[in-house]
Amino acid sequence: MELLDKLTILADAAKYDVACTSCGVNRTAVKGQLGDTMKAGICHSFSADGRCITLLKVLFSNVCSYNCSYCVNRRSNDVPRTTFTPRELAELVIGFYRRNYIEGLFLSSAVLKSPDYTTELMCNALQLLRSSYGFRGYIHAKAIPGTSNDLLVRLGVLADRVSLNIELPSSESLRLLAPEKGRESTLGPMAFVRDGIKANYQDKQLSTLKRTRFVPAGQSTQMIVGATPESDYQILKLSSSLYRNMELKRVFFSAYIPVNTDPLLPSGIETPLLREHRLYQADWLMRFYEFNVDEIIGADDPFLDPLVDPKCNWALKHIDQFPAEINKVPYEMLLRIPGIGVRGAKRIAMARRQRSLRFEDLKRLKISLKRAQYFITCNGAYAQGVVFDPTSIYAELAGETKKRRFKGVLDGQLQLLDC
Amino acid sequence: MDSFSYLIADAELGSFSTLVDDAELIYLYDGTLEGMLSAIFAAYGRHEDPQNIVVADDLQESMLCSYVPIKTEERYAARVKNGIIEKLGDRVYEDVKRVFLSDDTAKGGILLRYLRYAFKAGRWSFTHLSEPPVADFIELRRQVENEAHYMLMFIRFAHLENGIFYSHIEPKASVVPLITDHFAKRLNVQPFIIYDSVHGLASVYDTNRWWLVSADDIQLPAQSQLEGDFQALWQSFYDTIAIKERTNPRCQRNFMPKRFWGNMCEHIPPELRKQRPETKTPTEAARLLAANQKLLIEPQ
Repeated sequence: MELLDKLTILADAAKYDVACTSCGVNRTAVKGQLGDTMKAGICHSFSADGRCITLLKVLFSNVCSYNCSYCVNRRSNDVPRTTFTPRELAELVIGFYRRNYIEGLFLSSAVLKSPDYTTELMCNALQLLRSSYGFRGYIHAKAIPGTSNDLLVRLGVLADRVSLNIELPSSESLRLLAPEKGRESTLGPMAFVRDGIKANYQDKQLSTLKRTRFVPAGQSTQMIVGATPESDYQILKLSSSLYRNMELKRVFFSAYIPVNTDPLLPSGIETPLLREHRLYQADWLMRFYEFNVDEIIGADDPFLDPLVDPKCNWALKHIDQFPAEINKVPYEMLLRIPGIGVRGAKRIAMARRQRSLRFEDLKRLKISLKRAQYFITCNGAYAQGVVFDPTSIYAELAGETKKRRFKGVLDGQLQLLDC
Repeated sequence: MDSFSYLIADAELGSFSTLVDDAELIYLYDGTLEGMLSAIFAAYGRHEDPQNIVVADDLQESMLCSYVPIKTEERYAARVKNGIIEKLGDRVYEDVKRVFLSDDTAKGGILLRYLRYAFKAGRWSFTHLSEPPVADFIELRRQVENEAHYMLMFIRFAHLENGIFYSHIEPKASVVPLITDHFAKRLNVQPFIIYDSVHGLASVYDTNRWWLVSADDIQLPAQSQLEGDFQALWQSFYDTIAIKERTNPRCQRNFMPKRFWGNMCEHIPPELRKQRPETKTPTEAARLLAANQKLLIEPQ
């Protein structure tokens, strides 16, 4: 088979993987070797679906011995199957990297024979890329649930980021849809990698120069949303505990897209992207805005409101803490104002030290007042025309969302919410 | 007298603007950083407050402005530079240089007003984000830095017959000086040229060091045999990785504005692309090429 066909098959098989980030680690360039990495990561293109392309995202092989219901590569699907040779993969990465198409490689794989057998093949390919080709760019490697610790160590030294997919938000769902992947076979290796990172970090203090770095960009995971009945509450609780207990850098969500027909799966119903979007907003609140998961969502109301974002939702439920006086409230409270981001909060905190701010100053600071205007005062005054009343604020914000997102056709689920 | 009657008076006297008190004063400079700094020096020296400082060659004269050409003087420019570094810090001088790379025709006035404010308000003036002179300056710097970052993202190199990797760009600010270091470090094993045809500026890296060349035109050898193959592979990857059910052109263009597409090979329409790689796999081609060129890292 020609390389072009292999690449097409193995990229097509990898496209549903959501993680495509090249961030988390700075590695400076070395004379004579190709590549470096930047802490913030760099996107290199955007595909027709609007997703960022930063890494060459491929499977090493799509020959799978598992039969997970939701997956395109399941054993029982009749699709063309192929496997890269390490050399082919390395040539692709180097050729693309030299042309500034990519930051590096995202390598996943179907389970060829066994998790250990597959991981060893992946390690060999990465070894060739790192040692023989001297590649210093970014590598994100998927670890397959059930991989042995020895191989995880090898993988973690070659890659910058390692991820194990939770796949589904509960063990019952996992048992039902991915019977070969148990909860333990994912969480076990995840905990092992976490401990490895910690030990490696402590070791760093001893010898900074010669140390081998283990998973320097940390771990991530992903789960499919909407293929199984779990609520947003369950999903966010789970991701919060993954951040806390597994010390993950990222939890990715992927709105379910039906690729297979299976009696166990919701037939033909695509999960709306808006649900994924709201989950990411909640995730952001936990990671960058110092929100606790229980502040965002509760068991009594277990789905995020599609019409207003989770931060607005929180603010409307805690309207007694508002309006926030821009010139007085502490930085932590600035962060909690809907429509004000981390950068905006920092700018306000910086600028108000010099003199007190008025509404026209906020515009100069590039603060968008679209949402913020309802929740703030400047020197005691509300923005012009703002009525500080939770019900009317909710109506305004929800109306805005409807105008922006649901103009034209409404799909079934959203119609229900609309009435 | 209102400004209208001034104009009439001017017309009668046959001399424009110098007699008009409220005519906008504009300084003219030669387009170099030294020229700009000399003009800023002149504004202090002449006790004047020019509205803007513009390149003499690009001038479109207006009846309501009076123009003063300012001569570029190395020693005056150096005094302004040293003044900025001493009083405001290295970082501010770096920012001044960045703002200077902007294509915005108002940049001269923005620079002058910022520096006037900063010299009065002191070292921490860059935090005074609500002051218009500071806000304008920071905004212009942001625009230049954004454009530079777009280049780090979207530059595409093509491998030429003579072994050099070549990239053509059309940025909205003259950012070649800001981005070349990034590529020289990262791609240090390959010689490359980045050519900005809008500003007539190229950077050349020879695997040891890089330098800038001003160039209105550039003659290129053909692309290497390998190049078409890699472009075809990349195009195929690019098309495959998109999830068809989720096509969202607005979101795509939001992140990757159309003005960059002309220089990115994944956006070459299918009918203009090379059909399939001619060589069986680039692996083979790479080995052939590596035999007579040192440019590819030869696997051990």
